[in-house]
Amino acid sequence: MTYEFAPYPFEAQRHAAKLPALRAGLEERRHPVVVVGGGPVGYTTALGLASHGVPVVVIEADDSVCSGSRAICISRRSLEIADRLGALPGFLDIGLPWTGGRSFYRDTEVLHFTMPQDENQKLPPMVNLAQYSIEQILLDKAETQPDLIDIRWQTRVTGVEARDDGVRLALATPEGDYSLQADWVVAADGGRSFLREALGLKLEGTSYEGRYVIVDILLDSDRPTERLAYFDPACNPGSTVLVHKQPGNVWRIDYQLRDGEDPDAAIQPENVMPRVESLLAMMGEKGSWKPIWSGIYKANALTLPSYRAGRVLFAGDAAHLVPIFGVRGANSGIDDADNLAWKLAFVVKGLASSALLDSYSVERVAAARENLSYGTKSTEFMAPPSFGFELMRTAVLGLAKKHPSLSSLINPRQTSAITYATSPLNAAAERSAEFPAGPVPGAVLPECPLTVADGSGTREGHLTDLLGPHFTALYFSEDGAVPAELESLDRALAARQVPFELASLTRRLGASSPHGWDHTGRLFPMYGAQPGTLYLVRPDGHVLGRWRQASAAEALAAIDHALQPPVKGV
Amino acid sequence: MTDTELDAVYTRLCKTMTELGEPRATLFLARFALLAIDRLGDAHAAQRLIDSAAEGLAPAATDKALP
Repeated sequence: MTYEFAPYPFEAQRHAAKLPALRAGLEERRHPVVVVGGGPVGYTTALGLASHGVPVVVIEADDSVCSGSRAICISRRSLEIADRLGALPGFLDIGLPWTGGRSFYRDTEVLHFTMPQDENQKLPPMVNLAQYSIEQILLDKAETQPDLIDIRWQTRVTGVEARDDGVRLALATPEGDYSLQADWVVAADGGRSFLREALGLKLEGTSYEGRYVIVDILLDSDRPTERLAYFDPACNPGSTVLVHKQPGNVWRIDYQLRDGEDPDAAIQPENVMPRVESLLAMMGEKGSWKPIWSGIYKANALTLPSYRAGRVLFAGDAAHLVPIFGVRGANSGIDDADNLAWKLAFVVKGLASSALLDSYSVERVAAARENLSYGTKSTEFMAPPSFGFELMRTAVLGLAKKHPSLSSLINPRQTSAITYATSPLNAAAERSAEFPAGPVPGAVLPECPLTVADGSGTREGHLTDLLGPHFTALYFSEDGAVPAELESLDRALAARQVPFELASLTRRLGASSPHGWDHTGRLFPMYGAQPGTLYLVRPDGHVLGRWRQASAAEALAAIDHALQPPVKGV
Repeated sequence: MTDTELDAVYTRLCKTMTELGEPRATLFLARFALLAIDRLGDAHAAQRLIDSAAEGLAPAATDKALP
């Protein structure tokens, strides 16, 4: 029997290779930063660098954005990052927002989970969209900045020479081969990273044997967007099946292969289609459907021990492979990119010593380990690696309906923003300890609605709207009056050319100067703030330090400690 | 006990059983049950847990029918 496949509801534009101006096979221009890999991580890094005014070359081996079923869920934290990069509208226009999911054991619902969502949020906890759309949205944004972002399609890295003073890459294109020189290289070249192999770096951790088949189908259904998990379902006894709705009537189905099944045979249409058919019948989906794509997945929980190798910085799947359960792959890579971009920009601009890049590695390796611990837990539940995990899972699934407190063990632990609790950049721990509430140094900002008043009028907004490619001082006051001490902080940082914005947050609607008014009265208590409180926030939205009573000198010291700026003019 | 702590205990239990091997798993779980009952120190609660754990499992009759 043959099966008719449908195309994805997306047509990828093809891009030609092009050669830069060369001299004896070497590109004439030397670049401050080259990003290898035009995926979600590479583009996010490029957009981040560009937001700081740093030009970047992106090297991509293919001639288009990706195809097939890869990342499908984008988290609130990733959306916040996209928002700062000016790429949010595409995600919200195309993506399907969702807040929770259901898990079934045979025919019984054993878990209904929801992700944190309340009236303070600007963004949904998760949106579903295909990776080709994620890449296209970021690419569209990158293409609006051709003076800063130079994308080189159909260009493959074939060699790397990493020196103390720079990196030389050998590149192959259909138009011919050449080399280029860069001060810094970002390796965002994916799970099979050429740069990682070429530099002899090894991922550490666990590879799991359990395999999943991934199938995308086209199906017209008005079922709501939520994560559906079926354990030991009637349609596929002994297996686990996941179902996610995507834009354009695409449905992503992941199902576990049983022990002993041959993976090559398992992805043949004659083996895939009957299982999809019986799943849809079990779900009560009666509409006609067509397969689009299928592939196989094996869970890995691996990371490099360090993401900095001299002048080469690793990000995303090139740096770590996290299991798909919990959707931490693309989302953690986007977080890597956001962390790295500002630090690299500051180093390139001479505003920080290269030690700042070591903090990238420290913070993101710690984040990867946290992601891996949750991802490992989810994987051990979704694809039990031994009889012990299998037996215990059967026990949990059988008990969870009557004993709901056990159902937390079924929860997929979806990705959430990570706190850099042990970051070397975190400042003034004793001052932070004086707060009754609010984000600690290393944490991201909890969202809160605000009324933004700029003298000419007011509009509705949110706290994270105040962030940008700069350090942000959030100063809490009664009516927006800023003490002279903080004005001097502003001047001191301006003199050093450190990008900095002072944002005033008030209890009352003030008269003229720009400020954010806490019209709900929720912001001050959420942040443990009183008039005079100061939060210092990094360009990636993580708190650097906080003071119940602002101290400009300590705030300046915190920024100096973070940047360890090179001594100038001696 | 937080969800994260429950996760950690669960994983430790699974891993310990795996290390001991399948033939010893039943005895291991029996010993764990005895220690948990002892620690619980509440006969009524323990009786109820025994009933809850048995509830919904296939009846023993099927097993007895086997040769």
